[in-house]
Amino acid sequence: MKSVFSLQWQRFRRTPAMVLSFFAMTILFVAMMAGNNPAERAPVLTYADGSMTEQQAAEWVELLNAKEEFSFQLVKEAEARKAVSSGDATLALYMMEADYRLVLAADDMSRFVLEAFLDRTYREELRLRQMESQTADAGFRERVATVMKEPALRVETSTLEGTDLFQYDNQLQLLFGMSLFFSVYTIMFSLTKIVEEKKYGTWNRLILSPLGKWEIYLGHLTYSFVIGFAQIVLVFLLFRYVFGFNLGDRFAAMLLITACYTFAIVALSMIIMGLVSRPQQLQAIVPILATGMAMIGGAFWPIEIVRNPFLLAVSKILPITYGLDALKGVAIYNRSWQELAEPISIMLLFGVVCMGIGINLMERRSYQ
Amino acid sequence: MLETEELKKVFKGKIAVEGANLYLDKGESVGLLGPNGAGKSTTISMISTLLKPSSGDVRLYGKSVIKNPGKMRQVLGVVPQEIALYGELTAYENLKFFGRIYGLSGKDLEISIQRVLELVGLVDRQKEIVKTYSGGMKRRVNIAAAMMHEPEVIIMDEPTVGIDPQSRSHILEMVRQLNQEKGLTVLYTSHYMEEVERLCDRVYVMDHGRIIASGTKEELKSILSSEETVWMELDRPYPEFFKELQSFDGIRQAAEIGKGINFIVPKGSRVLGNLFQAAERHRAQIVNVTVQTPTLEDVFLHLTGRKLRD
Repeated sequence: MKSVFSLQWQRFRRTPAMVLSFFAMTILFVAMMAGNNPAERAPVLTYADGSMTEQQAAEWVELLNAKEEFSFQLVKEAEARKAVSSGDATLALYMMEADYRLVLAADDMSRFVLEAFLDRTYREELRLRQMESQTADAGFRERVATVMKEPALRVETSTLEGTDLFQYDNQLQLLFGMSLFFSVYTIMFSLTKIVEEKKYGTWNRLILSPLGKWEIYLGHLTYSFVIGFAQIVLVFLLFRYVFGFNLGDRFAAMLLITACYTFAIVALSMIIMGLVSRPQQLQAIVPILATGMAMIGGAFWPIEIVRNPFLLAVSKILPITYGLDALKGVAIYNRSWQELAEPISIMLLFGVVCMGIGINLMERRSYQ
Repeated sequence: MLETEELKKVFKGKIAVEGANLYLDKGESVGLLGPNGAGKSTTISMISTLLKPSSGDVRLYGKSVIKNPGKMRQVLGVVPQEIALYGELTAYENLKFFGRIYGLSGKDLEISIQRVLELVGLVDRQKEIVKTYSGGMKRRVNIAAAMMHEPEVIIMDEPTVGIDPQSRSHILEMVRQLNQEKGLTVLYTSHYMEEVERLCDRVYVMDHGRIIASGTKEELKSILSSEETVWMELDRPYPEFFKELQSFDGIRQAAEIGKGINFIVPKGSRVLGNLFQAAERHRAQIVNVTVQTPTLEDVFLHLTGRKLRD
């Protein structure tokens, strides 16, 4: 098994283009579509009322930017108004000491999100200021911050189904979706080597050697697993540490989910390999399968917005659906292990069943 | 050493091989002759345990290898018809891998690699990528890979297909050396008659999935011992003359080949005189006439009614 596994790495070192191209494409797509750093949060041109000092204006902007939802940029009133009227910006924020106004050229959907954010932030800050003014305690804000770490009352919201309320994080949606999508290509095309070996006769050389058949399969499958797993994990690490994506602090759980997903895809690939007889057939089948799975499984857009019952039913038999669900469950909803057990178990079960069918199909073809 | 008993293989209701009985003694070089589609590759796939026979048995030293192929695989080297190598690796890396899967390592592996590279004459080019090799060089590495574990029996499935005459000659000489000097048992399939004539002690002739004749080269040729092959070269083709020639008593298996005509006549036949007269009537100018004893090619033609490379 070790020699077959090592051989695949040796071959990879000689022809790394295919694997590296999918790795690069994942990075490119996520970086382009999700933005690569916090500075790329939606910019909001902001100007202050004449009654405010420069320091007051700067403090408000700092407070608003601290929430990391928008990027407020302090400019002169004329500049902001010119940008809105010329269409360079959809809106601008006019800050007053204890109030604000939005300057709009046209009604825009994004204003509701911004308005909600401003309303929440202004309300919290003004309330704090009011309480601060009524106490002589100099460390009042620090004390409030400490108390809020362990609040006396917590409000948890859930739907009738008991699932999390849908929260959309564009960066994570794209990162998880694209990573799982492109890994399908890497895994399936790396397993193409089995079909190639059968076509070019090297498979027979392996069969005639003292190696057990399970060792040959395991060598190939382990290589495909490792290369697919490594691709996904490296992309996650890259976007977490270089691009600053917030993946949460449960990376071990994400590794486990990625491993289960990779196993399921490797197993699914075995069925495909068992059905085709020529490597050229895979050039047609793999893109159709990968793209189809990604579309239906929610890699390109959140599955939560899909309402078609047929598509939702189909998504239930795709490992990518469960992979994305579990990854988002960890990074966005911070689900417990108990809640993650379902998607993880389904992926493992899917993998075991597909592996059995796949190897059976391959064996039927090769030893008749 | 190795024998098959009534081997049969049926693919989706179609019989590929039926009733194949053959044997190889230790140190023998045996040819398996037949045109494309005769069933040679299927037969050797069953012998080498790659394909399960529909019925029949393969025995190594008297023991069946169908249920327990391990013993057979230890002593067997197979040179497949296709170039079964990893094109993106060097010859050295390919051989290293094929040695490792047979359990070789360290110094033994290195010695084996250099031994087979010397055998195939590629020591100087072992570090080059296989896909940059010529067809002949690839074929030589293909043979080397099957020799890494020093097999007792080697099965070669048309190992010289599609290569230049020089490489072909090199390979044939190599196989002859392996058999005669190192005592390797060889089962050699080909549809090149001259290769089998040059290399093999005994020959099995296959056609339409059956072994239709077998024996030493002399025994096979003796099938046509009472006959002679005549090659008549003309200055150009004469279709009418050829037509009349076919109607002569005693002339068999006449075939127009280029400007000449090849046919078989009974030994001592007086038909040649009549042929000269007929040529004169058709104003056909005879350039050359050769009367020769039968070759294996003639035997094959006699047995199957068609030429090997048809």
